[in-house]
Amino acid sequence: MTLLKREEWQDFVRDVDWTLSYVDEEAAFPEWFSGTGKVPREAWLKWEEDYKVSYQEYVYTQREKETSTYAVKAALSRSTTFDHLDEGWKSSTKMHFGGVAQVEYTAVLAELKMARFGLNGAWRNMATFGQLDELRHNALTTYFGHEFVVKDPQYDWTQKAYTTNDWVPISLRTLFDGIMTTSNVVDCALQVPLAFETGFTNLQFVALSADALESGDINFANMISSIQTDEARHSQQGVATLEILVEHDPVRAQWVIDKGFWGSARAFAALTGPSMDYYTPVEHRKQSYREFMEEWIVDQFVRTIEDYGLKKPWFWDEFMRGLDTWHHSLHMGMWWWRPTLWWKPKAGVSKDERDWLREKYPNWETVYGDKWDVIIDNINNNNVEATLPETLPYLCSTCHLPCCNPTQSRDGSWRIRNKSLSYSGRTYHFCSNGCRQIWWKDRDNVNHQTLVDRFLAGAIQPMTVEGILGYMGMTPEVMGDDPDYTAWTKDYVGREATGLVQVGGAS
Amino acid sequence: MKNPVGPVLRMGEEVEQIVAAIEDDNPDTDIEVIDRGSYVRIQGEDRVVLTEATLQSYLGADYKIRSLENLLASFAGRAITRSDSITWERAGLTAKEGATR
Repeated sequence: MTLLKREEWQDFVRDVDWTLSYVDEEAAFPEWFSGTGKVPREAWLKWEEDYKVSYQEYVYTQREKETSTYAVKAALSRSTTFDHLDEGWKSSTKMHFGGVAQVEYTAVLAELKMARFGLNGAWRNMATFGQLDELRHNALTTYFGHEFVVKDPQYDWTQKAYTTNDWVPISLRTLFDGIMTTSNVVDCALQVPLAFETGFTNLQFVALSADALESGDINFANMISSIQTDEARHSQQGVATLEILVEHDPVRAQWVIDKGFWGSARAFAALTGPSMDYYTPVEHRKQSYREFMEEWIVDQFVRTIEDYGLKKPWFWDEFMRGLDTWHHSLHMGMWWWRPTLWWKPKAGVSKDERDWLREKYPNWETVYGDKWDVIIDNINNNNVEATLPETLPYLCSTCHLPCCNPTQSRDGSWRIRNKSLSYSGRTYHFCSNGCRQIWWKDRDNVNHQTLVDRFLAGAIQPMTVEGILGYMGMTPEVMGDDPDYTAWTKDYVGREATGLVQVGGAS
Repeated sequence: MKNPVGPVLRMGEEVEQIVAAIEDDNPDTDIEVIDRGSYVRIQGEDRVVLTEATLQSYLGADYKIRSLENLLASFAGRAITRSDSITWERAGLTAKEGATR
């Protein structure tokens, strides 16, 4: 029997929008969920994705993906591959498992919301596939991380991290609750499938797979790149929604995408930047974080939004300058506050590694070299204690990451500037102009309290480093530390030390 | 290349054959292949087409074009899927051509 081609029947069977008679339209598709705004309801009749699949095709293909992903896992679980991976690379995977596995479940909720409240049957159909995809990612990532718990308790945070009050998941929850959980479906489609999945997830799931493979972690490279094949399909909800919104309300389209882009850029600077430029062994780095960002975001994603009539985001210059600083600063900050991490952050500043950093980032030595030198000299003088945290950093009220972005003064010096604003009798601090502007425009939103806000409000007791670590759920067997101090300090042994620091006092 | 479009394929044994099929299906387009190990970026200017028939000539008569999704980690441009082909093209290209007909 000859079957009809998909394009001969699909438009008909998924056209499930009928005229409601038992309830009014607003009851079935309330504005606060469906978010049509200035777009007339009938305009959504034109919503159409390019990348179509039928349910039958979806099931066949997903089965093939699962079979091949688990086949690789099964084959490698009998090898000693994992035991020979570099500790730095393992940390990239721990960071990924803890930072991503349960976010995937939040993404299920976002897709389900679009599957119910999207204003077109084709959209709801595609989001139905999307929620199945995200459920797969949640299960796959949790299961793959779970395999290593017996070998290293830090992998336990694959499941645990996202629900703790550690500062990293608080930052992630702030981002994802904003774009996935609390957004209406139009804003959700622009911020999640478009800005996040068409743009940034490529960085963590495709670009990072290049470093994973070079590092010998075939299993991880295979898992993350398989996940991105789902994202590539369901992320098409983004441009299909954008096409309609940009016609009726281009100002909103631009603002919502810009906001999603900025929040993602901040998060990925913390999540992907240190993995690519510090944790991956230097001989296995395929490109620098900046080069991957230029390939996937600056070239590919920006071309996408410009094709649809939008401009580069208003913060573009600040974002581009940040490609040379954000992740370097965050790496140094995360290394400093290493007891708050569920991985082992490798400093990665041996002479060879610094040569690589200087080649990729000509300003690196000027901005960061002297700070690392002080840390190195203290370690080489048996003063590791002086390199451990005694207090909390300022956290940004928008991205919840430490305020640590240096900018250059007219006299050439690099400084971290105070970017704050006062509202309703309170002063809020920010890491950047972009975060400050977004907070101001969305100031009536309900936001998560930063860890510092909680500390100052007395929610964390006792008010000591031990109290803070306890509040974060950190336990001694998980608490992060540098995996190998000697590896990156031995090149500098015997030189004249400057800036030795006395613990608990001035230098 | 001003407007590169095309697939980004993750690692897999069929990648070489798929590149060959894309080259066959786009004889008038320069196809650029950027190999980053775990992924391969394949791109041409404005429009790249890949048909199931050409894929089958390289990968066997049983190969279905929907299976390409197993390797399709990302793409540049819009991806338009049909039951026997997939086209990557710059947004607005089809609409503009239609307007001049």
